[in-house]
Amino acid sequence: MDEKVLALKDLTMSYSGKSVLNGINLDVYRGQIIGYIGPNGAGKSTTLKIILGLVEGYSGTVEIFGQDISATDHTYKQKIGYVPENAEIYDNLTAAEYLTFIGELYGLDRKKAEEKARKLMEQFDMEEVFHSRISSFSKGMRQKVLILSSLLHNPDVIFLDEPLSGLDANSVMVIKDMLESLANQGKTIFYSSHIMDVVEKISNRIVLLVDGKIAADGSFDELKEQSKEGSLEGIFNQLTGFDVHKETADSIVSIVMEDGRDA
Amino acid sequence: MRDFRTLKFLDFFQPIFRKVNIDYPMMRKIVAVKLTMDQRRVPTILNDMKRKEGNQFLKSLWIYALYGVLLIPFIFLGENFMLQSSIIMGVSMFILMTSMISDYSSVLLDIRDKVILNTKPVNTRTINAAKLVHISIYLSFITGAFITIPAIVTLFTYGIGYFFIFIVGIILLDMFVMALTALIYMLILRFFDGEKLKDIINYVQILLAVGIVIGYQIIIRVFDMVDLVAVYDFSWWHVFIPPLWFGAPFELLLNQNYATEMIVLSIIAVIGPIISIFLYYYLMPSFEQNLQKLMEESSSRKKKRWSLSDLIGNVICFKREERAFYRFASTMISRERDFKLKVYPSLGMSFIFPIIFLYNNMELQEITGTPLSQGRSYLTLYFANIIIGTVVYMLQFSSKYKGAWVFYTTPIQDNSALYRATLKAFFVKLYLPVLLVLSVVYIWIFSFRILPDILVILVTSLLQVVIAHKVFNKGKFPFTEPMDSANQGGGTAGIIIALMLIVGVFALIHFIISVIPFAIYIYLVILIVLTAVLWKVLLK
Repeated sequence: MDEKVLALKDLTMSYSGKSVLNGINLDVYRGQIIGYIGPNGAGKSTTLKIILGLVEGYSGTVEIFGQDISATDHTYKQKIGYVPENAEIYDNLTAAEYLTFIGELYGLDRKKAEEKARKLMEQFDMEEVFHSRISSFSKGMRQKVLILSSLLHNPDVIFLDEPLSGLDANSVMVIKDMLESLANQGKTIFYSSHIMDVVEKISNRIVLLVDGKIAADGSFDELKEQSKEGSLEGIFNQLTGFDVHKETADSIVSIVMEDGRDA
Repeated sequence: MRDFRTLKFLDFFQPIFRKVNIDYPMMRKIVAVKLTMDQRRVPTILNDMKRKEGNQFLKSLWIYALYGVLLIPFIFLGENFMLQSSIIMGVSMFILMTSMISDYSSVLLDIRDKVILNTKPVNTRTINAAKLVHISIYLSFITGAFITIPAIVTLFTYGIGYFFIFIVGIILLDMFVMALTALIYMLILRFFDGEKLKDIINYVQILLAVGIVIGYQIIIRVFDMVDLVAVYDFSWWHVFIPPLWFGAPFELLLNQNYATEMIVLSIIAVIGPIISIFLYYYLMPSFEQNLQKLMEESSSRKKKRWSLSDLIGNVICFKREERAFYRFASTMISRERDFKLKVYPSLGMSFIFPIIFLYNNMELQEITGTPLSQGRSYLTLYFANIIIGTVVYMLQFSSKYKGAWVFYTTPIQDNSALYRATLKAFFVKLYLPVLLVLSVVYIWIFSFRILPDILVILVTSLLQVVIAHKVFNKGKFPFTEPMDSANQGGGTAGIIIALMLIVGVFALIHFIISVIPFAIYIYLVILIVLTAVLWKVLLK
């Protein structure tokens, strides 16, 4: 039996009276690549924030490597890497300063962290901007820095919230292959995305969240089996109960075509 | 990143931090990063300066030293320590608190902290301690710069006793200000959303800029009242006025005034800050939770069905395109915080300056004997116009300048309409309210006989707008230049001063005209025609 990395039990959460998560039960095992998908506002980011200890006031339990996170101190975060969704970053630091600092927060030696960061940046052909301020970076470059910052300390489980936003096709391919090979090395990847093609291709397990509940959980093939849809996009539409995309599209077009050029 | 001397100093206190279970090396690293970022931040107080490399923060400290000099007149207010020290402490509190809010808010309210630091294997205690240490370092630098000069002055005027109480009082005041600011934020965030808080911070920043100019004027006048003889009377509500707490120990210890109220206030001066710090520490977690609000979208406001500004816009803009631009420009002017921060203080001054000069003339006329209402002091109203150049200049800039691509990609028929509409929006939304209020005050003083003069001033202000526009604008759209690039290029200041001189020329012509009976009406007609033609010709 594989090692259980993450276990969510009856996880519920509500913000000012509005419930966001309605009882999530999920066991994640070593080496899995989990695509965590769902419509906007389904509670994906909230789940990640709870696991990372960013949000309090949930009920239910979250266990990482068998430890209840509410019962232990901050040390469990040592094994976790995290890429936040809104690209939150101290952008008036240089890439070198930022990455070194994050490495140090994870307990790395300063020199080692900087050296490792430099080598990783080289892989993205970003060695020239290593000592430039992040505020001058393009969206894709920032995202790369964020991804690298989550990997410096060689974490065992990596949470990524929309990790591919702003990246070009080549970089997406690199990240995809990287995630796969990290998983082969026994890392666990847990990521959320809206890009269904990518999720379909790299995840070996897909968890679909609708209205704060898990609506589907399984490999892509299993989901296809259940829903008789050919693509993850189709499955997504079906399971989120969204079957009016054609009608919505049509009415958008008809509103656009209403004579807007009166004058 | 270099090693900070401040941090080396902090190392002495290492055992204390270790004792309260804080991971000192980690905290030191976090504070080091924060200090590095501070160096690259430009304080509000220096917003007229160009962005330069180097420690911006340390360079801004001399301004606080200057504020410190402003304290000196109060030191000589006499031996009634209760009054004199309360004023000193009150001014200090105002300066420290407003600079705390305007410059420090970005640090206190940095939501990135949560996402970046709290997801790492670092004790929350350590992170909070780092935050507190960071604020304290900042505040002690400002305080140091601020009180050094006045402290030395007190040492030589009132001796070591006063000096010592002053230093201790200021340290307690610092603690109190730090906790109070955070507590106020907590309160605001509990009831309002993040946008509201950002607005409030913005207004405090504006208040700081205006307050210092006005404050300076007041201080100059205080010199006249040095011989003020007042007796301090205690009332129960004085317990709620912090400057009085900090004034009491001086009276208590130096004038040996052992009245009960002095003892009570002095005790509060010591206990108040300590309680507020504990309260802050105790409420910190809930504050952090509420900070989350800054990340959430704020509740949508209801659209107003009817607005005066829209109505005026429809009257003074003739084409549909121009009306759309007018609405856009009015919203930009009233919403953009960076723009407000740079422009509203000038507006405040355009309101204050005429009144200050009118007041000066009033004193002058008391000497000459002619009553103010009979003279030509209403010409001080021209001081309201001197800011037009600056504001028109600022209209090119926006912190959201990147959004300007829409002007280039949409089929705009008449490019000049955009600027025309923006100038009109500025005039209606910012200038007219100031002039209107001033006019009411002036008519109340000078009676309706100055109505034609006010009309002349109004028309010259329109003329001033179009001249300023012609000088600054080089075919660019408004709101399309980055806010940072404002104030760059040395020529700008010269041009702005030249534009102020033009206002002076108008005032001079007006003065000459006013000597000739009825000439004012002819002048008014000429001005209207000239302005109308120039608006037509130059704004094409």
